[in-house]
Amino acid sequence: MTRHTARVSRTGLAIIGLILLLGAGAVLARGLNASASVLGSSHAPLLTHAQVQYPARNGWVWPVVAAACAVIALLALWWMAAQTSTRTVRRMPVEPDRLHGTTVLRADAATRAITSELGSYPGIRAADAALRGPAVTPGLRLSVTAENRADPAAVRARIETEALPHLRTALERDTLPTVIRLGFSRAFDRNLA
Amino acid sequence: MSDVASAHDDATVLLPPGEQPRPARSGAWSRPGPRRMARREFRPRRTIPGVLVAAVLAAAGIIGCIWAASAALGHPLWNVSYGDFAGPMQTTAHWDDTRTLAIAAAVAFVGLVLLLTAVLPGRPRAVVLASGDDSVIVGVPRRSLRRSLGWLAVEVPGIDSARVRIRRRSVTVRATTRLRDTAGLREGVRAVVQERLDALDPLWPPRVRVRLRRKRE
Repeated sequence: MTRHTARVSRTGLAIIGLILLLGAGAVLARGLNASASVLGSSHAPLLTHAQVQYPARNGWVWPVVAAACAVIALLALWWMAAQTSTRTVRRMPVEPDRLHGTTVLRADAATRAITSELGSYPGIRAADAALRGPAVTPGLRLSVTAENRADPAAVRARIETEALPHLRTALERDTLPTVIRLGFSRAFDRNLA
Repeated sequence: MSDVASAHDDATVLLPPGEQPRPARSGAWSRPGPRRMARREFRPRRTIPGVLVAAVLAAAGIIGCIWAASAALGHPLWNVSYGDFAGPMQTTAHWDDTRTLAIAAAVAFVGLVLLLTAVLPGRPRAVVLASGDDSVIVGVPRRSLRRSLGWLAVEVPGIDSARVRIRRRSVTVRATTRLRDTAGLREGVRAVVQERLDALDPLWPPRVRVRLRRKRE
């Protein structure tokens, strides 16, 4: 559902972890003389004279290194952006009928409607909603804070049987994948605010 | 398909008996597949380690790019002196030196940690509840549930303080009282906590345990 960023983060971490593990493992294998015929002698210096002289003799080395570093930096920045993006939907098409023009709904109008409806229920102190994912098939993330003395079963029943169907009707959708985080708070300051 | 049906039956039997009417429970929550999917929703996303590693990589890439580009133009921005790097690498630093091995082991360890961070599912951040609709996943954040149950326990007359611990299969309440006669207190706390859990209807109903400690004046 909204596990997109989790997949991006975990895949990237697995790739980087594997690279580090295999590279360092190869160095360890050579240092511990695991297989001298493949990796070379374990008592040799880290670099040979020819390797040190190589960049000075070949003009293409530094430009290639610079380009490789630029690619790494760009990939890393893209990865960072993909992980931090919340993929919040701002506008969503309601009537996907291209021939007769499309109707576009502002997502914050829909989410404001459901949060104010939830906020008006007795027993609910605060609510927050966001539509996330692709604009054509978004998912709803709902975060609701209920009063601890309220009956959570009644609170949940109202969310599921009233607020969510209202939103689905407004968005003209039969199903809307929804994730609700239900928290609790003590009702000290409700009537003072 | 037949074992799916029998799993369905088992799961319904395992539900805690509750007297008060509960919200409808979608049939999907009796099957293991949707239950696992729902729990996965609340597993850690590993965004923080991911962004940290990405930032380190980006910084290294940018610095390396600038340095290599300046070296390509013939004017390295900062010189790595021969005596510090290339000299020792050819003469004194060997593959089987303790330092080489230690650095390689440290890098391998970091790689292993990153790999485990990526692969291990991690503990869900919320307790998943059953909902009336299989497209609706409901969870109570673990910390919020701990506080909520603690407040309920403290409201039982005679209980001074309560701390709650939530594990996958059990909820443990550690309550303290000043009363000398503790008869019925433990049952009172257990009833309140169990009633709240029944109303929430978790997909994996935990067992409630109460530890009562008498505080001396």
